[in-house]
Amino acid sequence: MLRYDSTSSSAGSSSGSLSSSSSSSKPPQQDIDGLLAGAGYKVRSSELRQVAQRLERLETAMGNSPADFSQLASDAILYNPSDLACWVDSLLTEFAEPPPTCSSDFIVDPVNNQTVVNSAWTTAEPHTPQVHQNITYDEQQSLDNQLTVVTAMEEDSGIRLVHMLMTCAECVQSGDLSLATSLIGDMQGLLTHVNTVCGIGKVAGHFIDALSRRIFQGMGGGSVNGGSAFENEILHHHFYEACPYLKFAHFTANQAILEAFDGHDCVHVVDFNLMHGLQWPALIQALALRPGGPPLLRLTGIGPPSPDGRDSLREIGLRLAELARSVNVRFAFRGVAASRLEDVKPWMLQVNPKEAVAVNSIMQLHRLLGSEQTRNSPIDTVLSWIRGLNPKIMTVVEQEANHNQPGFLDRFTEALYYYSTMFDSLEACRVQPEKALAEIYIQREIGNVVSCEGSARVERHEPLAKWRRRLSGAGFRALHLGSNAFKQASMLLTLFSAEGYSVEENEGCLSLGWHSRPLIAASAWQAVPAWDNHMSSS
Amino acid sequence: MVQNHHCEDHETVGENKEKRPKFFINDHVDILIEILKRLDGRSLCVAASVCRLWCTIARNDSLWENLCFRHVSPPPSSVRSVVLALGGYKRLYTGCVRPVRSRLGRMRKASWSRDEVQLSLSLFCVDYYERLGGSNSSGRLVGESSPSSLMFLCKPVNV
Repeated sequence: MLRYDSTSSSAGSSSGSLSSSSSSSKPPQQDIDGLLAGAGYKVRSSELRQVAQRLERLETAMGNSPADFSQLASDAILYNPSDLACWVDSLLTEFAEPPPTCSSDFIVDPVNNQTVVNSAWTTAEPHTPQVHQNITYDEQQSLDNQLTVVTAMEEDSGIRLVHMLMTCAECVQSGDLSLATSLIGDMQGLLTHVNTVCGIGKVAGHFIDALSRRIFQGMGGGSVNGGSAFENEILHHHFYEACPYLKFAHFTANQAILEAFDGHDCVHVVDFNLMHGLQWPALIQALALRPGGPPLLRLTGIGPPSPDGRDSLREIGLRLAELARSVNVRFAFRGVAASRLEDVKPWMLQVNPKEAVAVNSIMQLHRLLGSEQTRNSPIDTVLSWIRGLNPKIMTVVEQEANHNQPGFLDRFTEALYYYSTMFDSLEACRVQPEKALAEIYIQREIGNVVSCEGSARVERHEPLAKWRRRLSGAGFRALHLGSNAFKQASMLLTLFSAEGYSVEENEGCLSLGWHSRPLIAASAWQAVPAWDNHMSSS
Repeated sequence: MVQNHHCEDHETVGENKEKRPKFFINDHVDILIEILKRLDGRSLCVAASVCRLWCTIARNDSLWENLCFRHVSPPPSSVRSVVLALGGYKRLYTGCVRPVRSRLGRMRKASWSRDEVQLSLSLFCVDYYERLGGSNSSGRLVGESSPSSLMFLCKPVNV
């Protein structure tokens, strides 16, 4: 039988009615938890954890025998409802709930309980890992009980981790590297007490790694941005499978391109990052089935050169050509190997003046941004030659985040929030090993944002509002993505059957987010006709 | 209930009314096809296990075409060549149409929209493309486990 340890377990003497008179011996007032006091409950701060555990056990007991409980609830006489711990105990004893069979030092024995709670509150004791090992999985209710208790403890550690991360980032920004280093050590210690399989622990782990890389290896960031093109393609592919962001990007862009190509017989798509070419089968199929028959489709795929004599661009081109042949679409492919987008010159694309051009950039334009706003920065150069091609449509999909701020702390904070949300959304994916590799993909982005500087930092994400200003300034005007794109995106999300994703429409642009935090935004643009003799205005 | 007889009993096709009519559905393949055309996916697969004749008929892609598009206003004729090129109607149904419809809650509903058809076809096409990659790969990691972009739709029931 559990006893509430310091105060007496029996309440006052009033009978029948629920009274709010205080019981016999009250604990000292200054120890009362402030927040609960505001709600009308008096619980000592040091006993919060025990009370929480018991409430959870009570909830489990309620779930297990609802019939008993309803009878109990009508029969129970609560003498002092504001003394939360007390009446929870009394209800529990009424149930005569047998203690869960696992990890007894964690819940049952009130004597040990006291010690465990105290030590866990101040210094992180290694009890949490034990819980995971000792759990008997055949007792589902006790398992749930354990996990909810563990979660309560972890939330606390998780919050501390976040605070420490912010402090560490601040130290890095101000140059206090010794303090930053010691914080890294502390955080790594704290990580062992947090569940790093999911939640804040996992994201925090990646950020701690990135910070330590920044501190110890300098701004080059080691080989974060390295990794061969082959590896990148595989990670990208698994990121495509594991979560809907890239699928959303591809399908939305394809819909816009399809609508823009309506009525044209010769069309040319320029893809700024071909990868495995996963975007294009759907477009080829849609063109094959469009009323009036398919056009002649040319695809120019830009990608990094492959090192070992393999021509990966050509291989992808051949695959796409085979698919196009199967569905009777006249197709021509051209690969342009360039390690950086700014190395591409428009003549390499061999655009025919008579064809309708679509430029497709899925998360590529941000790589052209530098931190300095110089006159002829790569982004301006590229945007101007895109404009020179006079494309029918330019589809731009970018991460909806502000990771290009000059101040490190701001950037770090924003990245922490953004990637935590993204990792949360990844939890919904059940398919392994896609999920693990997708996480590595995201981890590399985090590493680049946090630990690299200068030309090594290529993940310079900017939010949609900034891109709108930039593109309008470069001579483009926005095209509205139609309702078809929105419907398709919504349907795609329903197929993912994870409850948290949401599509939003924002002045003609679509964004996909997790629980109302937009994470990726898609927009479409057209070149404003220039009043130039050499350009044909459309 | 349809009788499935193994003994040879020749009967003239047509309206031959005997005193004790013996009607073996297997002798009237056209009627059998008409009946099987109206079944749902699961029943069609069950039907395929009845006997060799039914199995052959059930494997016929046109039955599955009917199943995919029976609730849609007739799709353009070009759809057929595309679907056949990408792997056939049975594959389209089992891989895309059925999971898409059930996820979208459309199994009971009579009709579904062009957008849903389009989406299914697009997903089917991506799946075909990935299968192409699997067969053509030369030791790439992609070819080995061949992550299918339709995996998020699949439950491990092989119809």
